Amino acid sequence: MVVGLFFALLAGLLVSLQNIFNRKVSEQAGTWSTTTLVLGMGFLSSLAMGLILEGNQLFSLPSMQPWYWFSGMVGVGVVFCLVQGMRLLGPTYAISIVLTAQLGFALWSDSIGWLGLVQVPITFTQWFGVLVIVGGVIVFKLGGEWQQKRSISKM
Amino acid sequence: MKGIIFAILGGVFITVQGVANSRISQDIGTWQTATLTQLTGFLTAFLLLLFFRDGKWQAYRRVRPLYLTGGAFAAFIIFSNVTAIQHIGVTMTISALLIAQLSLTFLIDSNGWFGVKKQKMKLPHFIGIGMMILGVLILRA
Repeated sequence: MVVGLFFALLAGLLVSLQNIFNRKVSEQAGTWSTTTLVLGMGFLSSLAMGLILEGNQLFSLPSMQPWYWFSGMVGVGVVFCLVQGMRLLGPTYAISIVLTAQLGFALWSDSIGWLGLVQVPITFTQWFGVLVIVGGVIVFKLGGEWQQKRSISKM
Repeated sequence: MKGIIFAILGGVFITVQGVANSRISQDIGTWQTATLTQLTGFLTAFLLLLFFRDGKWQAYRRVRPLYLTGGAFAAFIIFSNVTAIQHIGVTMTISALLIAQLSLTFLIDSNGWFGVKKQKMKLPHFIGIGMMILGVLILRA
């Protein structure tokens, strides 16, 4: 439990930093120049870590299934959808929906044990927990935005 | 409506990435998974870049070198995400991840670190993060 939580929190901190760095790049370069650079850097860092920790073992891929080769393209889908969503809805509204969909789909994945995950029966308590989290996301994103607008109009 | 569909798909894809990575890791290892998916993602993005011709290579030079390395975090993000999903499941992983992500983003915004525009921390932000932590505690119960 503690190990899992530690790594989940660590991932969240790194995602936050990465988003800020990437935004700085995309302010100068276009969406696809930024995405190409970001994924290229991700490849180099993964390759380096893999070589340091596993050496040549990194290149032994005994039980590859065909879809593993295409799985990385999902990352490009993420960028495309996020950019389009934010363009059409504005960042605050779009990100609130993105985070909600992320959590909703996570709950669904656990409940059916998707792709060989350990199936977790979803109880009422868990639905309620996720609803409270989604409520928190919406208050954080939309509430913050609304307060900002109000204080601007007061000036 | 189109925007909402894109936003929902974007969120779903982020979770799909995590689940797919932890599935692939079981077969070929975590660093192999990270290396492979980042490489195929990079090649796809590069093809799109050539197609849309928004390649402004000289633009990279106007960005502080530190910010160009943001993508390199991916190795550790994928490793952490996969390890967390294998230990505590997808829902709990994404929930904890979002709390850490939104909290740090807000800390950075409210202090104006990395040259971002300073934003004031308001009551809804505290209530929102409080509710998210409460939700995780309910999930654990």
